[in-house]
Amino acid sequence: MRFATRTFLSSFVPFAVLLAVSFWAVRASVIETVREGLRASVRDNEVALAREQTRNEIRDRKLLQGVAENPTLKAGLQLLATERSARDQARNTLQDQLSEICDALSFDFIMVSSAQGPPLAAVVRETGGFAPVNLVHLRPPEQGFFSADDRLYEVTSVPINEAGIRVATLTVGGRFDIARFGVPAVLLHKGAVIAMQMRDLAPAQIEKALAACTPAADCETRIQDDAYLSLPLELTAGVGEDSYLLRSLQDVDAASAPVQAVLRKLFLVAGLIALAAGLGISALSSRSIARPLADVAAHLRKSAATGELPEFPESTGGVQEIRDLTEGFNHAAKAVHESRERLTRAYVQFVGSLAQALDARDAYTAGHSRRVSEYSCAIATAMNLPAQDLETIRVGALLHDLGKIGISDLVLQKPGRLTPDENELIRQHPVIGRRILENVQGLEAYLGIVELHHENWDGTGYPNGFKGEETPLHARIVKVADAYDAMTSDRPYQRGQSHAEAIAILKSARGSQMDSSVVDAFALLGDQRRRRVLDGTPSLRSLSQALSIEHDKSQNGGSVPTSREGEETREGIEQVATEQRETS
Amino acid sequence: MLLGAALLQGADIRGVITVERKLTRHNVTASAGMYQREAAVKLGADADADPLEFERSHVAVYLDGGPNSTASAVAKTTIEQRDRRFIPDLVVVPAGSVVSFPNLDPIFHNVFSLSKAKSFDLGNYPRGQTRVVAFPNPGVVAVYCHLHSNMAATIVVTPNRWATRADGKGLFALKDVPPGTYTVVAWHKTAGTFRQVVTIDEQSDAEVNFTLPYFGPGEGRHTDVKPAAQR
Repeated sequence: MRFATRTFLSSFVPFAVLLAVSFWAVRASVIETVREGLRASVRDNEVALAREQTRNEIRDRKLLQGVAENPTLKAGLQLLATERSARDQARNTLQDQLSEICDALSFDFIMVSSAQGPPLAAVVRETGGFAPVNLVHLRPPEQGFFSADDRLYEVTSVPINEAGIRVATLTVGGRFDIARFGVPAVLLHKGAVIAMQMRDLAPAQIEKALAACTPAADCETRIQDDAYLSLPLELTAGVGEDSYLLRSLQDVDAASAPVQAVLRKLFLVAGLIALAAGLGISALSSRSIARPLADVAAHLRKSAATGELPEFPESTGGVQEIRDLTEGFNHAAKAVHESRERLTRAYVQFVGSLAQALDARDAYTAGHSRRVSEYSCAIATAMNLPAQDLETIRVGALLHDLGKIGISDLVLQKPGRLTPDENELIRQHPVIGRRILENVQGLEAYLGIVELHHENWDGTGYPNGFKGEETPLHARIVKVADAYDAMTSDRPYQRGQSHAEAIAILKSARGSQMDSSVVDAFALLGDQRRRRVLDGTPSLRSLSQALSIEHDKSQNGGSVPTSREGEETREGIEQVATEQRETS
Repeated sequence: MLLGAALLQGADIRGVITVERKLTRHNVTASAGMYQREAAVKLGADADADPLEFERSHVAVYLDGGPNSTASAVAKTTIEQRDRRFIPDLVVVPAGSVVSFPNLDPIFHNVFSLSKAKSFDLGNYPRGQTRVVAFPNPGVVAVYCHLHSNMAATIVVTPNRWATRADGKGLFALKDVPPGTYTVVAWHKTAGTFRQVVTIDEQSDAEVNFTLPYFGPGEGRHTDVKPAAQR
């Protein structure tokens, strides 16, 4: 996970959680408030309804008490009670009277029942008149709701007294219209909806939702994923088994929807702002950390690619942790450098001893490896090769004849000319040397010099017959130095040639055996330089200085090289190695 | 016979009843339902087109102070109970007459009166039955139905046979009145009783006009509006 992502998450997620929690809390409180408001309004409505209901009831009751005293009605009842022969007409008479009363008082239902309960006559308002009601199953309550012929009536009753004795009951009522309530309401009878105002809801849904509600208490329920609030409306409802229940049913979610919409918008904006803030903050903070880190990473990648461990510059950004990191790295780099130097030292010692062992086998070639190395270094310096190459050349040159270890002394130290077979054996030494060094880790860089220092520019050399630049520059340099030292050294069978002669011979081999540029560079080296090599006091540090001086003086003629073979000591080699280390 | 001949040769009393304003309040109270339904209440819409015609035709005119001829001109009169109404709602009969009350409605009626001139209660009886009542004494008899308080009729029982109802135009005629001095009485249920003295000779008809209600000087407004108390 990127650092920027991590910062973003750690800065935005708390925001988001905070927002979500507060949104939830505010939304809950808003819904609760709206619900409270609704509850209050429903209650107010309920109170108003109840008041009006009471007023209506009082009015109706007064009216009814007057009607109950109606002598004609009493006469009609008397008639019904006494008449035996024409009972239907008697009932008709009573129904006719009831119709008249009902019409005059604007009721929709009127009934007289005997004092014992059974109804005597009843009529209902039909379109254009009144119709008698079948009395068989007619048992309306004294007060409350009842339904007849699929119509719902709200009725009230008064007694009809004769001389202080109740002789009958008069029950009147109007059609119940649930739409007259100011709030959405639903009328339930035994749990079943028989009247409701909500057109978009199915009765079954309402019944299911209200089934869990206590008849006399507030109730919150859900219909179609909306929260509903239901309050019992305190109106005259029947009691007991045959009870009717009138409840308000308000959609709370619909009521609070606009508020919720505003809230949602508000929190959406806040969320977006928080998101932007989180992005900005994480971008800024991560940039201040990620950029120095990226620098460090690039540095490390580079050092991994090159194998170098360059130290960091002192100030890498303003972040303390990063500074600590780079400092730590610097310490580690220093330690690695030190160990690497130790290793180099050990290995130089090893190489030196190898070369020494080689030289020691042949008195005539004593010091040869060292001198070739010195000459090669001088040439490389003159050719402005980098220090890295210089080191490779120096060590490579020291080892260049290592392969001769594997050649019999009989051949190697044979005085006089060699037979072709012997010559062939001698020509094996670069390959042998390569094979020896191949298996030693850390010496890969010198394989080229060891193997190829007998290749010629024109491809006539051995072992591969490489042409021109197929042979690496290092090997070409060592070849020149090797040839020069071979020519200027004394041999049992011949005295060494002078510097000038050797140079002349080298020059004549330009482009054939030797690389011209290398020969030219070597030719330009002054005699002083060569002598210093022979003296065993090499100073690579002052080499460039010497070169610049000698370059101006050019050659001062070739003096005869004096042989100092056998004089080199182990100390001399070590000194060279030490000086070399200091320059790197 | 002489008397009868003389009577036959008697003169007529004719006259016009003029009613200046509406006197009877027809079902003046609209039903509660009509008010509650906020409908425009049209009072008296079922009354006659000309309310004064109704008033004129509901004036009974008879002679007071003439010879009592109780048995001589007795005619059988009928007051039907139809559509919860007494039809006709005003009859003028001489004393000793018999009035029958047939019930033509499909419901019971119970006809009764509490008037001094004749008090009766016919009891409940269904369609097709009839009850008969004799009215021996003159006076005004208000008739009601126990079962239907809106039903009302008036029977004016007169002392003699010279009695009639004015027609819609207010015209009336009392025929063959023997010469003499009489009091012509005009009675209206609401306006009350009005009297005028008239003298009849054999040759010429007399003319007696009434204006109801009358506020003229001398006669004054008749205060006795209770016909039942009139004698």
